Amino acid sequence: MVIESHRPLIVMLIPLIGTVLILLNREDENKREACSLIAAGAMFLTVVSMLPSVLEGNTFHYTLFTFLEEVSFTLNADALGMIFATVASALWLITTVYSIGYMRAHKEHNQTRYYSCFAVTLAMTMGVAFSANLVTLYLFYEMLTLITYPLVSHTQDEAAYAGANKYLFYLLGTSKAFLLSGMLMTYAVAGTLDFQHGGLFPSGVNSTVLVITYFLLLFGIGKAAIMPFHAWLPAAMVAPTPVSALLHAVAVVNTGVFSVLRIIFHVFGVDLMQSLHLGTATAALASFTIIMASLFAMTRDNLKARLAYSTVSQLSYIILGGALLSVSGMTGGIIHIANHAFSKITLFYAAGSIYIITHKTDISQMNGIGRQLPWTMAAFSIGALSMIGVPPVSGFTSKWYLALGAIESQHITVMIILLTSTLLNAGYFLPIIYKAFFKPPDDLAHAHGTEGDKDGGGHDGHEISEASHKFLVAPLCVTAVFAVLLGIFPNLFLNLAKWVIG
Amino acid sequence: MIDLWIHPGFLFILAAAALPFVKPTWKVAIKLGVPVLGFFVLVLVSHGIHGVLPLLGQQEMIFGRVDKLSLIFGYMVAIGTFIGMVFSLHVKEDKEHMAALVYAGSAMGTVFAGDLLTVFLFWEIMAFSSALLVFYAPGQQAREAGMRYLYIHILGGLLLLGGIFLYVGETGGIAFNALPQAGLGPMLILAGFLLNAAVPPLSAWLPDAYPESTITGIVFMNAFTTKTAVYVLLRGFAGTEILVPLGVFMVLYGLGYAVLEVDIRRLLAYHIISQVGYMVAAVGMGSEMAVNGAASHAFANILFKGLLMMGMSSVMLMTGFRKLTELGGLYKIMPWTFMFYMVGGIAISGFPLFAGFVSKSMVISAASELHRPWVAMLLTLASSGTFLSTGLKLPYYVFFWKDWDPNKVKHKVTDPPKNMLWGMGLAAFACTFVGVFPGPLYNALPFENAYHPYTWSHVIGAYQILLLTAVVFFMLLKKLDPEESISVDTDWTYRRGIAGFLWFIRKPVVRYENFITEVYKKGLIEPVKKLSQIGWTVDTWVFDGLVNASGWATLLESKVSEMFDVHIVDGTVNGVPVLLGGSAKRLRKIQTGSIQNYIMAMVVGVVVLGFVSLVLFG
Amino acid sequence: MWIIKYLEKIIENPAEMKKAKKGCLYFGIALVVADMIIHIPQLHLVHIYFLWDWIPGFSALYGFISTYLIIIVSKSIGHAWLMKPEDYYD
Repeated sequence: MVIESHRPLIVMLIPLIGTVLILLNREDENKREACSLIAAGAMFLTVVSMLPSVLEGNTFHYTLFTFLEEVSFTLNADALGMIFATVASALWLITTVYSIGYMRAHKEHNQTRYYSCFAVTLAMTMGVAFSANLVTLYLFYEMLTLITYPLVSHTQDEAAYAGANKYLFYLLGTSKAFLLSGMLMTYAVAGTLDFQHGGLFPSGVNSTVLVITYFLLLFGIGKAAIMPFHAWLPAAMVAPTPVSALLHAVAVVNTGVFSVLRIIFHVFGVDLMQSLHLGTATAALASFTIIMASLFAMTRDNLKARLAYSTVSQLSYIILGGALLSVSGMTGGIIHIANHAFSKITLFYAAGSIYIITHKTDISQMNGIGRQLPWTMAAFSIGALSMIGVPPVSGFTSKWYLALGAIESQHITVMIILLTSTLLNAGYFLPIIYKAFFKPPDDLAHAHGTEGDKDGGGHDGHEISEASHKFLVAPLCVTAVFAVLLGIFPNLFLNLAKWVIG
Repeated sequence: MIDLWIHPGFLFILAAAALPFVKPTWKVAIKLGVPVLGFFVLVLVSHGIHGVLPLLGQQEMIFGRVDKLSLIFGYMVAIGTFIGMVFSLHVKEDKEHMAALVYAGSAMGTVFAGDLLTVFLFWEIMAFSSALLVFYAPGQQAREAGMRYLYIHILGGLLLLGGIFLYVGETGGIAFNALPQAGLGPMLILAGFLLNAAVPPLSAWLPDAYPESTITGIVFMNAFTTKTAVYVLLRGFAGTEILVPLGVFMVLYGLGYAVLEVDIRRLLAYHIISQVGYMVAAVGMGSEMAVNGAASHAFANILFKGLLMMGMSSVMLMTGFRKLTELGGLYKIMPWTFMFYMVGGIAISGFPLFAGFVSKSMVISAASELHRPWVAMLLTLASSGTFLSTGLKLPYYVFFWKDWDPNKVKHKVTDPPKNMLWGMGLAAFACTFVGVFPGPLYNALPFENAYHPYTWSHVIGAYQILLLTAVVFFMLLKKLDPEESISVDTDWTYRRGIAGFLWFIRKPVVRYENFITEVYKKGLIEPVKKLSQIGWTVDTWVFDGLVNASGWATLLESKVSEMFDVHIVDGTVNGVPVLLGGSAKRLRKIQTGSIQNYIMAMVVGVVVLGFVSLVLFG
Repeated sequence: MWIIKYLEKIIENPAEMKKAKKGCLYFGIALVVADMIIHIPQLHLVHIYFLWDWIPGFSALYGFISTYLIIIVSKSIGHAWLMKPEDYYD
C-alpha cells in the first residue's frame, strides 16, 4: 500500500538543516560536532520509524516537483530503499563519532567544510535511496558525485587533486555518457521513468533496443565499480580515512550497487532480464570483476589500496546476486549491501586508526602492531573474516544465499567463482592479520611505547596507544559487533529483501 | 536421563572467553572443571534432538543431536580435553588455553551438529582455533607451517561448502544424515571430510603442521580434527566402499613414512595418519562391528596417541631437541617419561591387557567377518609396523641407542614438570583400564557389541606377532639408524606451486590493471590538456580583459558594501541584539568568514527554502 | 623404577643381555606350542575365517615377514624418491 507522507522528505531535510547548523557553529568545535551528531541521530530515527510499516509491505510516497507529464521528482521509500537508508543512516552516525576522533587527532584543516559536505552527502544519499523514478535517482546521483569532491580532495595536495579529478572524471564521465543516454532511451521507449515492481517497460519492445538501454544504464552507474569503470575507487584513497569509509560503506558505492539493483528489479524486472539473458551477461561481468579485483588486491602493499580493490570485488557480489535472478541469489545480493557495509567500514576504521596511532600505511610496515593496537586489529580480523566469508560473521550469510542462488539458477560456475574468490580473499587478508599478531614488531621502541612513557607520547605529540583515541576505537568495535550480529541474526534485512523480491 | 541440554561445546567456548578475566586459581578450576562438567552433561542428557535454533537466516539449525554415536565421540572430546588441560597446566599464557578450549568446543559442536550448516560453522572454527595452536609456537618455521595449515583447511572447508551448496540445492534441506554415495555434491562433501581426516593425498598438512605446534598444543591437535572427521564420515558415509582401499592405503602410507622419519613428533604425526586409516577403512566396511570398531579405535587413539605425543613433547621440552640423531640414552634421565611412553607404545601396538588390543582388533575382526582377506591381512601387517615404529624404533632411538651427553645442553635434563607427568599418568592409566575392563567402552558403542577380544587364539596370536616384530627390529637395527633428511609428501604441490601463482598475478594481472587505470590518462587527460593550451591563449586575451573590468566593479562594490556594512548593517547588528538582550558576537559570526561558506550557506539555504516551501505549499 | 634398574642391568652387562635374549626365545617357543595346543578342536574358541588361522605359529611367521617387508620397502622407496636434504623447501 502506498502511503502519502512527508517522511521521506523530512529524512532528506534533516541533514540539510544540519548542514546549516554546522556552518553556523563553525567557530565552536564541540557545538558544531554536536550538530552533526544530532542531525545523524534524528535522521536515523526518522528512517527507522518507517521500518515497521515497510516491513508490512507499505511504501512512503512523496512528490517533490512535477515538470513534465510522467516525469517528476518523487520520493518513494520502499523495502529496497529502506535497506539502503537504514544502513547509511546508522553508519553516518557512527562515522561522525569516528570523524571526530580522526580529524581532531590529525589536526585536520577545514573541518567545517568536511562536516558540512558530509551532511549534504547523506541528504543526497537518502535522495537516491528514496528515488521513485530514474530521473530523481539521476539527479541525486549526480549531486552526490559533486558534493563528495571536496571530501575526496580534502588534503588539497597535488596527489589529492589528481585522485579527486580521476574520481570526478570517471563518475561524471560514465553518468553523462551512459546513464543519461540510457535514461533518455528508457523514457523514449517506455514513456515513463517510474520504478515498478516487475519492470516499467511495456511488452513488445524491440530486444536490441532494450539490451542497449540496459548496458548504457549498467555502465552508466560508475559508482558500482564494474570493471573497467572501477579505477576511481582506488584513486579516491587519497581522501582521509573517514571519507574512504563514507565512500566505501555508507554512501557512494552503495549508491552504485543500489542503483544497479533498481535497474534490475524495478526498471527491467526479473522476467525481462531473464528473457533477454541479461542476467547471465551481468553475472559474467560481475564474476570477471570479482576475480580480477581479488587477484590485483593481493599485489597491493598499501592497506587502503588493498581494501579498495576488495570493495570492487565485493560490490560485484551484490550485482552478481541481483543478476542471478533466483530468489536466494537476489536475497544474497540484497543483504550483502548491509553486511558488506558494516564489515568494510570496520576495516576502514581500523586502517584509519592504524594510520593515526602508528602513522603506517603499508602492510609491510605492520609487523606486530597487534600488540600495540589489540582492539583495532581484533575488529580488523572480524571484518576480514567477514570478507572471506567465515561463519558466523555476516559475510558468510550473504555468501550462503548467493551460492544457493547460483545453484537455483543453474549457474554452477558462479558458485565456483564465489568459492575461488573466498580463497583469494583469504590470500590477501590473512597475511595482514598474521603479520599484525604473529610477527615480532620491527620497531621495538614503538611497540613498547606505552610502557615507558606515561603520557603515551610518540613524536609530534601524537598519542600512540588506543586508550587515548577512544573516538577512533569505539566505532570500530561497534561495527565489528554488528558485523557478527548481522551474520547470526540477519532477519531484519532478510525480511526487507522478501518484499523487494515479492 | 535428565532432559537437560547445555551444549558442552558452548560451555568450553564460554570458558575460553572468561579465562583472561579471572584469578589464577579460578583459571585452573575452569580449565579442569569444564571438561569434567561437559562429560557429566553428556552422561545425563537424553537421546534426541536438542538445541534447535533459527540462526544465520535458516529455519532451524540443530546444535544438539544426541545418540550413541555422537555421545561416544563427545566423551572422547571431553576426556581428551581434560588430559590435555592437565598436561598444559604449567603454561602461563592464557591464549594457548583459550585456543585449546575454543578448539575443543568447536569439536564438540561438530559432533553434535544435526545439520550441514552447523557442521560447517564448527568446521571453520576448528580450523582457525587449531591454527592458533601452531601459530603460538615460537619461531618462523612454526608460523609458516601454521599459514600452510590454515590455507589448506580453508580449502578443505571450501570443498565441503561447495558440496553442501550442491547437495542442499538439490534436496532443499540442510539435514545431516547418511548421504548418497554418488553425485558431485556428496562427493565434494566427502572430499572435505577426507581432508580433515588426513587421507592421502590430502594429508600432507598433518605431518607438516603438527610437529610445529606448541609443546602442549599437539595433544589437542591429535585429539580433535581427525577424530571429528571420522565421526562425520561415520554419520554421513558409513559403508561407502571407496573408503576401504583408501583406509588401508592410509595405514601403510603412514607407516612407511614413519619408518623413514627423523623428527620425533613428525614420526608420530605420520602415525596418526596410519591409525586413522584403520578407522576410515572401518567406516568403509560399514557393518555394525566395523562401525563399533571405528568408534572404539578412535576412543583408544585419544588415549594412547595422546600419551605418545605427551611423551615426545616432554622430551622435546626438556632437551630442546627433536631429531632422533640428537637424542638417545634418556631412559635413565627421564625415567617416568620413558615408562609412561612405553605404556602408550605397547597399548597402540595391541598388547593384551591394553587399549589397542580391544579396539584395533575389532576392526580387523570386522574385516574377517565380512570375508575380506586382503583387508584383514594388510591391517594385521600394519600391527607389526605400528609396534615397529612407535613401540620399538622411536623409544629405542630416543631413550637408548647412545649415551646421553649432559654437556649437550646448558640446563639439567630431567623428567618434565609434575602436571605433565600427571597428564601422561592419567592417559597411561586409562589405556590400561580400558584394556583390562573394556566393558564400559563397549557399552557406549553405537551398536550392540558382538566382539570378544580375550580369546586364547587372539592373545597368543598377538604375542607372536609382537615378539617377532621385535626380533626383526633388532636384527635390522643398523638399517634403521636415522638419516638426516626430510621426506617429500604431497604438499610438494602447493609449496612449489604457490611461487608460480604469485608470479602470475604479479606480472600479467598487474600490467592489465595498470593499463586500465592509466588509459584514461593517456586517452583523455593529455588531449584535454592540449585543448586547454589553446583555451589559455583565448583566456589571456578575452577573459583577462573582462576580469580586470569586473575587478574594478567589485572594488567599487566592496567600498559601497563596506559603508553599508559598517553603518547600516553593523548598526542593526549591534542594535537589534541589544534590544533583544543577546550578544552581538553571534550575529557577527554569520556575516564574517570565507566565501566558500557563504556560497555553501546560500546554496543550502535555497535548497532548504525550496523544500520547505514545497512542504507548505506543494 | 625397578624396570629402569633392570634395563640398566641388561644393557650394561652382556651376560644379563644373553639371559634376557634366551628368555625371549623360550617365550617364543612357548607361544608356538600353545598355538598348537589350542588348535585341538575343543579348545578352539574362535571362528576360522581364513586359511591361516589354522596354521599354528602362523602369526609369528607373519610378524616376521611383515616387519621385514615394511622396513625394506619403506627404505627403498625413501632412498629412491622421497628423502631429500633438510633444506629442500627453503
